Amino acid sequence: MTTSNEQTHDHLAKRVLGRITDEHLTPHPRWKFLVRNYAFWGLGVFAVLLGALAFSATIFEVQNVDWRLFPATHTDSLSFFLATAPFIWVLALALFIFVGYMYVRRTAHGYRYPLIVITVGAMLLSFLLGSGLYAIGFGGEIEEAVGDHPPFYRPILVEERSWWLASQKGLLGGEVEKVSPGVTSFVLRDFSGQIWNVDTSDLRNRDLVAVARGGIVRIIGAPATSTSSIFHACFVFPWVMKGIPRDDPTPLPLAVVASTSGKTAMSQSSACKDIRPYKQLHRVENTW
Amino acid sequence: MRDGLEAYIVTGAMPLPITDEEIVRRTLSDKEAFALLIERYEAKLLRYLERLGIGVREDREDILQNAFIKAYKNLNGFDLTLTFSSWMYRIAHNEAMSFFRTKHARPQLILSEEGEALITELKDEDSDASALAELRLSSEELAKAFATLSPQYRDALTLRFFEDRSYAEMSDILEVPVGTVSTLIHRAKRALRSALPKQFLP
Repeated sequence: MTTSNEQTHDHLAKRVLGRITDEHLTPHPRWKFLVRNYAFWGLGVFAVLLGALAFSATIFEVQNVDWRLFPATHTDSLSFFLATAPFIWVLALALFIFVGYMYVRRTAHGYRYPLIVITVGAMLLSFLLGSGLYAIGFGGEIEEAVGDHPPFYRPILVEERSWWLASQKGLLGGEVEKVSPGVTSFVLRDFSGQIWNVDTSDLRNRDLVAVARGGIVRIIGAPATSTSSIFHACFVFPWVMKGIPRDDPTPLPLAVVASTSGKTAMSQSSACKDIRPYKQLHRVENTW
Repeated sequence: MRDGLEAYIVTGAMPLPITDEEIVRRTLSDKEAFALLIERYEAKLLRYLERLGIGVREDREDILQNAFIKAYKNLNGFDLTLTFSSWMYRIAHNEAMSFFRTKHARPQLILSEEGEALITELKDEDSDASALAELRLSSEELAKAFATLSPQYRDALTLRFFEDRSYAEMSDILEVPVGTVSTLIHRAKRALRSALPKQFLP
């Protein structure tokens, strides 16, 4: 005599085996599981790599935002922070780390790792790789290449350059093209390509050194008139890009600068002293 | 002792137990061997599903049938670092959760004297609580409180106190880290205690 339990056993085993036969079911091949597992690991690692790219761009942004000059370009520190904080890259980093976590979680043993372990691990990997990428000059490349595409985002360099294309506000930035003997004036090509003759009569020695070194500079001063291309410079700050492989400009012999007599802060003209953050800029200069 | 060692290979005079993993290996070349695994786990898993709150026997059998079919199709993906038992419970667990989701079914729990382990556990946590210490909680009242828990909590308590699973096994079945299992059990116990009728609360 069979018990009801035995009948159920037979019943279920028969039903299952019957379905396997009727529906021609076979175990999925092993390689499918291996491929799936490796694919999730691969996607997890890929997400971490993308996180590393985002992190290298973040470092690039943070390194190249010069907070010391915010009194000249922004009304307050908050608006400067909002304009320069690398929100998009931090968001991208967080997103990639989350995506990486989701993929690793779906690998064969992924569920065994706590969220914090995977997240911190992915962040550390992203930070390490991202720092390496930044060190070899990738941060700027990524910033420029990716930053150009989203309509809601401007790469930080483009953004910063736009602040220094406001000659009417006394802000001018560009590359030193030519310096007159004795550094009495110099020619500057601004970021939009316009050529300016810059009057250096109100510059102090440290500004003249910056001019003589050449390369990209930021100038605070005043245009001679609203229509002319002559700019009266009061402060000159070198603009050295970090995280970008570059050719150093050929500097003028510093002896030329040494032979010139720069102004002191006290002896600058009223055109310079009227500049809004004049005192702050002097303080800024001391931190350079 | 590991689950499922009732089947034996008779070699000469000494019967040797066949491990689940060995049966899995055999099933890959002979599907009939799968019946052995079904026999080993059917009763346990039916009871497990009942404890999860799937009250209708036909539903439990359907879920189990689907779970075994799924296990068969995924036999090559069976991870040898797990026990077959944990792997099979995982599949049954996932099927049951999917059943609750698709049917929007309310759990129908019938807990008999086996709820004792859970009651003892609740008492231990409130050792100074005289109401719980003198608990005269009927299985019906416990079942009622148990049924109000979320499937996740019910599952955690079922595996721990009725199926007697270790935290590591629960981690493999529920596919969460061991730390999460511990948190889950703690929260589930708290939720169960607050779902008990007021006279049983300290």
